[in-house]
Amino acid sequence: MSDKENMDLHKNAKDVINQIAIVVRTSQIHDANNVAIASSISKIVSMINMLLDKESIIHLELRGELFYINEYRIRYSLEYLLNFDFLVREFKKRDLGSVTFKNQLKTEDIKTFTRAFITAPFSDEPFDVFQEKMSAIQNIEIGRLKKIVEDEDSFDVRKMIKRSYFNAVSHTRGIMNKVKSGEKVNIKKAKRIMESMVDHILEEEQLLLGMTAIKDYDEYTYHHSVNVSILSIALGQRLGISRKMLTELGMVALFHDTGKTEVPPEVLNKPTNFTDDEWKIIKKHPMWGLRAILKLKNLDELTMKSAIASFEHHMNIDHTGYPTVRLKTELDLFSRIVSLADQYDAMTSSRVYSRTPLPPDKALSIMMERSGTQLDPLLFKFFINMVGVYPIGTVVMLDSKELGLVTESNQIFPTRPRVLLIIDRQGNRITGNIVDLTEKDEQDHYVRSIMKTIDPNKYKINLAEYLL
Amino acid sequence: MEMNEEIKTTKDVIQAILKSKKILRMYPDNNPVYIKNLEEAYNKFREFFYYSDELKLKIKQNEIYYGSEQVYVSSEKEDNLALFFFKDGIREITFKKGLANDELEAFLMIITLDFDVKVTDDDIVTLFWEKDFQNIQYVVDDAVLMDDEDYETVAINEAKTQTNEPDFLMKAYEEAFHERDVPEETSIIPLSDKDLQALIEEFEKDAQAKIGKLVSILFEMLYLAETRQDFEDLSGFLMSAIDYAVLHGDIQIATDILSRLKVLLENKNISDEIKKFIKKIMLFAGSETVINHLGEILDSGQDIDEKTLDDFVIYLDKNAILPFMKILGELKNIHPRKIVINALTHLGSKDILVLSSGLNDTRWYVVRNIIHILRKIGDKRAVDFLLKTVKHGDNRVKIEVIRALGELGGAGVIIALREALDDPEVQVRIAALKALGAVSSEAAKRIILDKIMNKTFKDKEFDEKKFYFEAIAKWRDKEVFDFLVSILKKKTFFGSTKNDENRACAAYSLGLIGNKDALNILNKYKNEGSKLIQEFIYTAIRRLEHE
Repeated sequence: MSDKENMDLHKNAKDVINQIAIVVRTSQIHDANNVAIASSISKIVSMINMLLDKESIIHLELRGELFYINEYRIRYSLEYLLNFDFLVREFKKRDLGSVTFKNQLKTEDIKTFTRAFITAPFSDEPFDVFQEKMSAIQNIEIGRLKKIVEDEDSFDVRKMIKRSYFNAVSHTRGIMNKVKSGEKVNIKKAKRIMESMVDHILEEEQLLLGMTAIKDYDEYTYHHSVNVSILSIALGQRLGISRKMLTELGMVALFHDTGKTEVPPEVLNKPTNFTDDEWKIIKKHPMWGLRAILKLKNLDELTMKSAIASFEHHMNIDHTGYPTVRLKTELDLFSRIVSLADQYDAMTSSRVYSRTPLPPDKALSIMMERSGTQLDPLLFKFFINMVGVYPIGTVVMLDSKELGLVTESNQIFPTRPRVLLIIDRQGNRITGNIVDLTEKDEQDHYVRSIMKTIDPNKYKINLAEYLL
Repeated sequence: MEMNEEIKTTKDVIQAILKSKKILRMYPDNNPVYIKNLEEAYNKFREFFYYSDELKLKIKQNEIYYGSEQVYVSSEKEDNLALFFFKDGIREITFKKGLANDELEAFLMIITLDFDVKVTDDDIVTLFWEKDFQNIQYVVDDAVLMDDEDYETVAINEAKTQTNEPDFLMKAYEEAFHERDVPEETSIIPLSDKDLQALIEEFEKDAQAKIGKLVSILFEMLYLAETRQDFEDLSGFLMSAIDYAVLHGDIQIATDILSRLKVLLENKNISDEIKKFIKKIMLFAGSETVINHLGEILDSGQDIDEKTLDDFVIYLDKNAILPFMKILGELKNIHPRKIVINALTHLGSKDILVLSSGLNDTRWYVVRNIIHILRKIGDKRAVDFLLKTVKHGDNRVKIEVIRALGELGGAGVIIALREALDDPEVQVRIAALKALGAVSSEAAKRIILDKIMNKTFKDKEFDEKKFYFEAIAKWRDKEVFDFLVSILKKKTFFGSTKNDENRACAAYSLGLIGNKDALNILNKYKNEGSKLIQEFIYTAIRRLEHE
């Protein structure tokens, strides 16, 4: 196949997914015989048949949050974002993992598929119902969503992610020390580390976000820098930023607090609240950061973005933060992203200016209040969708009288994350049992729901013991 | 496929990669050699894929293996393909059957880069990663990135040291038995089309260059600066910003920086100490580094607004003269040279001596351009330098310098111009005539009159004679008028053709002078003599009657 044919095929594949999303969306309002739907369906038929002219089968598969066609990941631009996200959710609701098209499709095949798709979620076993309704259709086969099992492979992935995370922290420590002593910093290495972070976020976002939830390390500054990087990349990914730009964003975030290397350690690590004079020093770190970054290497786009974000990350979108400037211009996009990630990680950590760490959900509530004044409201919308209503690391009391820890958020049902139980309903400490709060009993009632969130710091609950 | 065939094809692929690594670097992508090489490399891969779906190469420090067979070995430190991949941590590369031509080209272009010469923050792995190949996969050993192998263990142990105290945990459990304090269901915050549109606009804004934003911040920092070190650092950053802006063709940003600095320089409330830093930055804008970069941009064909460039030059000091003269000799295109000439015309007046040093350049076109600039500046101090160039070996330079001398004038000029009238090259002589006309002094007039009156004058070519009379017409005084009339009246028996030429030129000159008193004599002779005289007299009459 020529390059052009390959490109056309990829473009068509992207359009097919988009078109399916349109048909599903419209069919939720109108009947399949509606003129608009009929026209969209015939469009899909012609698109898929065109692809089937080149390939013997078209296998559309959902893996994680991404669609693949015939093993190729389908990348999409921002204009497709809403429809792709929508279809991911709709597939998940039906436990639908794949759709295989073969031979040449008829309009009736897609009409049946659409009807089955629309009616399936109203049953207890949506996938089984879906499959039954599709049994008469020879040209389309569906497959169940593959469960992510905690097998040896995923254990290896966890290990790999943990290794990447700590390597990043260790490298950050090295960078900061070099900045402090005026030594040359190896940017190539930092970039490679950030690329590996981006890959992990694209493949295993939840695992890496989980690493940011642990706040009990001694070397706060370095962990904080890496956490802000991870959160920024994850948010950037939600925004549809390209891989290459995500690496830049990660680097920018990694360097955002470089200026703190100049803050005297006795101030930075002070166990009590800052005096006014100490605050004056702290408030200089954005400027010191800019200065340190610009001294690191020759001017290029990445250096400039890093320097700008370092200067602006405490300014707030309404310029109520610091440093105070004469000319109040709009903050850079990366600065606003880093600012969100920074505030969230700082508020949920124990060694920041306020000294009192907040549970993740409380931190989000405060950020919600700041949205539109200090924080960018549009980006915050994406941010809260990313971390979920109960972010990883939230300690929750369940109505089943079990105490647990959120280990994975749920994008479709934000109040129903996966939870690691740490105390059972008899009040015994337990380990290793992860439950999914979307689980229902025979009467179609949820088995467990969150009743209350607990501040882990108040009760000295060490998240590291469970998440590492 | 037989194993030995498979190995042979693999080795062919490796050889094709090695060949491309050398060749693609040397040619632009539209060159037939480049295209042919790429095609050949692609064909080698296709030959392999005819038999097998993927080509997996294992990378060792000095060897490459296909399966257990060694397909490449080198003990060199330079030009060692295995080591080239190995040093950045690549341990395996797999090419898959779907490999497209453009993917292969992108791959080859990366490995072709000369990492020793090109200053880049990217290694091969980063460049591969950015390409996100669909059909080229690679395995990387990230151990090369490890700073401290024990860090993970130590950090985890530290974090886990604070184990959960059972009493506290149970307390948390017990105290949590209260009524629900969270809503049972909360919907996800929906994203609307409007949000998406706003996001697209954000990206569009973000795509703009960051230098403007950085400069704005640097000025904020300048206002916040307290110590000498702060000012010193900021001077360095602003210099880098100017250089970056110029190098990227963003001359407006560089001009904005200089204009803002100029305002600060004129501010009486700013200390002399700070003003020293500001002056240093402004001088840097005219340094060889910046002006060289400006030259690169101008010659690259990038569209640069001339007005913006003129504005930039206004803020430069005389230190920019030498760098500008240097690039003047190096620029390949005419348009950028014109721009630089304009810049030097502005800057040159700040130091004629430095500008004049360009007259010693070995390249004739540089000397001619400098003369042109000196002429445009019009500073009479340049005459002494120009006079040294009158005997330049290149006639194009001579003509330009004569022209300049004519416009600048002065006593010293006359002798040089008189000598130039005897130059073997007619164009030089004509230039000298025009120059003498431009000088329009009595001495200059005398030289021309003497030449015309000389007995050898009649032997000159008609065109040259015409220039003499055109030149003398600049003096509209009685002496010249009478002189011309006398020539017009003069008839000879012998050599009448040459004399007629003189008479025709005199008529032409009378027409140019514009004195209507000449009409009588012109009308008198209008039907006499040769056709040439009649034609020139007729033209002169028409000119005088219609003036």
